[in-house]
Amino acid sequence: MKAKRTASLFLSLALLTPALLSLGGCASDKEITLRVYNWEEYIDEGGEGSYEYDYEINEDGSAPSILDDFEDWYEETYKKSVRVEYSTFGTNEDLYNQLKLGDKYDLVCPSEYMIMKLAAERMIQPLDTNKLTTYNENVSDYIAEVFENTYAVGEEPLSKYAAGYMWGVTGLVYNPEQVDKETLTKDGWGIMLDSAYKNKVTTKDNVRDSYFVGLGILYRDELLALDKNADDYTKKVTEIMNRTDEKSVEGVTKILKDMKSNIFGFETDTGKSDMVKGTISMNFAWSGDAVYAMDEAEKQDVSLNFFVPEECANLFFDGWVMPKDDKRDEDTEHAALAFINFMSKPENAVRNSYYIGYTSVIAGDEMFEYACDIYSAEDEENAVPYDVSYFFGEDAIIYADEEQLSRQLSAQYPLFETVKRCAVMNYYGDEEEAINELWTQVKGESLSAWAIVVICVAVAAIILFIVFTKFGSKIEFRLKPKKDYKLVKQEKLK
Amino acid sequence: MTKLRLSRKSLCIPYAVFLLFFVIAPMLVIVFYAFTDKNNHISFMNFVNFFSDPTKLTTIVYSIVIALITTVVCLLIAFPVAYILARSKIKRKYIIVLLFVTPMWINFVLRINAIRELMSWMNLLGEANYFNTIFGMVYDFLPFMILPLYTQISKIDNSLYEACADLGGNAFTSFFRVTLPLSMPGILSGITMVFLPSMTNYVVSDMLGNSKVTIVGKFIETYFGTNWHMGSMIALILLIVVLLSSFLSGGFKQEENRRAV
Repeated sequence: MKAKRTASLFLSLALLTPALLSLGGCASDKEITLRVYNWEEYIDEGGEGSYEYDYEINEDGSAPSILDDFEDWYEETYKKSVRVEYSTFGTNEDLYNQLKLGDKYDLVCPSEYMIMKLAAERMIQPLDTNKLTTYNENVSDYIAEVFENTYAVGEEPLSKYAAGYMWGVTGLVYNPEQVDKETLTKDGWGIMLDSAYKNKVTTKDNVRDSYFVGLGILYRDELLALDKNADDYTKKVTEIMNRTDEKSVEGVTKILKDMKSNIFGFETDTGKSDMVKGTISMNFAWSGDAVYAMDEAEKQDVSLNFFVPEECANLFFDGWVMPKDDKRDEDTEHAALAFINFMSKPENAVRNSYYIGYTSVIAGDEMFEYACDIYSAEDEENAVPYDVSYFFGEDAIIYADEEQLSRQLSAQYPLFETVKRCAVMNYYGDEEEAINELWTQVKGESLSAWAIVVICVAVAAIILFIVFTKFGSKIEFRLKPKKDYKLVKQEKLK
Repeated sequence: MTKLRLSRKSLCIPYAVFLLFFVIAPMLVIVFYAFTDKNNHISFMNFVNFFSDPTKLTTIVYSIVIALITTVVCLLIAFPVAYILARSKIKRKYIIVLLFVTPMWINFVLRINAIRELMSWMNLLGEANYFNTIFGMVYDFLPFMILPLYTQISKIDNSLYEACADLGGNAFTSFFRVTLPLSMPGILSGITMVFLPSMTNYVVSDMLGNSKVTIVGKFIETYFGTNWHMGSMIALILLIVVLLSSFLSGGFKQEENRRAV
């Protein structure tokens, strides 16, 4: 009996604790809740994977999460307490569906085309860009220009709605021992159709990346014929790579179907490890993933290279946007903009960039130092100058090992001549459905007519068999009673 | 302590509430989405689109065939195993049963990853996508076939076999007249537990078939990213296919049960 009472005492205590705690919470000033929705593993979450860059390390040796640091910083700077409610998503479509279902967030971080889609559907509100001081100060001129020249919706530039976070280009990671660089340069994206590399290449299991590759192959000649030194070169590439007319869709469908029978497979995240293990020798990759794959491979004494095809590549980025919410107060909006500013401080951009592996849109001195720190050649005599001034501003040259020209550095900070042929791929708009349908056609199974007939006959036979057994059993298995015997109903026997 | 007065009927309330919220309501939502378009107007276009697209139809046929092969192979492997386990006189049978069941306690994705490594090592990965997919499914669903069969077969009274032998039945007849009919409920529940999941378990086809094998579950997943209405329609059609197949086998089941009494 006594034990029971003690147990119930503990139980009630346990039940009361959260209530008491929340009471305590109410006593202090009103706390701002900032709801942030970001990609999985897309921010410095602290722990052991953090970069020791001029900030405090916890007593136990682990590093604090950047979100905790933001909360502290905000309280110190603005004398108001803020709590970040951080959650993550896996794909842009998940994010869209979540918002559509009515989930409320103050800041989300979709990719460029999703920003366009959200803007087109009026689901996000313009940012008060004057208040993004730290961001404006530190963002790379190159990225700022891209944000200015890309339209979110109609004539409104992307920069009106979004502040950049991470960016990159697409390309091919390849094993130089198994893939001939000359063939690669000659074929470009077309190497995915090359039967010499049958079952040796993978591409991404999503419609946008595959459609881009398809377009690259389809319009390769046209792309290569463009004058690379012309002022509107990037603009022209962008126009071609955003074609969604019927002819293009048809052409790409055919190319992707051929590709499907030639490649090793479509992947979402097995590509990196398959490259390291040597199961495949080439892999479509986003630059951040490419850096990761090359790092991992180096640990196992395999050297992988990164290649951006001559004709074109995709320039992608993720940016912070603010979904519409009538109930959001000024304090929360202030905290949200402060959050973007905090993440745009070069030292924090370095932390995030180190943790995630992608390239931050932030330039700044600390960022450049960090890049030099990683990529500068140890042997200064053989170092080659690597010009990243388009990104970091004047005189930004990294003296790197020659091999870095086709390795991590070339993926992390592609040369200007590379990014010039990179196109932003817009939201398909009204054509979205048609292109998703293309993907269904490519991914789905196809059969010749006679095979369908055979299978239908087989299925019909099975159904007939079952039906026959069902009704047939009444006739076949029940023995008739012998003469002069009566059939007694089973119920009576029981 | 006060006594709570509960009639037997009120015990059903939690279940009724559960069924209402987690079975019936979601089903209605799926039906709603399946027969509406983007602007939430009633529309049969999803239905028409599905049945006028050879790719979608072929994919569903492929899924059925893959699921059928998986089920049959599972049955062929599981039946002898279950029979031996249930009828033989080996000691500590439960350990063997346990060995078959333990893999279920390990995370499914982990197991599929392990198989992927194995296939990669045997150079099968990327070469035989359909074989790999079916292999993975059989491996994954085998315990679901063995368990119901094992319980069902161990329930068979030994005197039935004795009677069968007394009446002059040989091993063949005792199998077809005693074991098979009496294990039918086990076979059927095994089939239901294997057939449907293997039509929708796209993790296996993605990992082992390198996403080059597409089953209907993958379609539903992809469509739920971009077009819920089509996704719901495919889910509904899949549901009908499954209901149809269990209706066919369900009629079978009643008959068998009656005979087994």
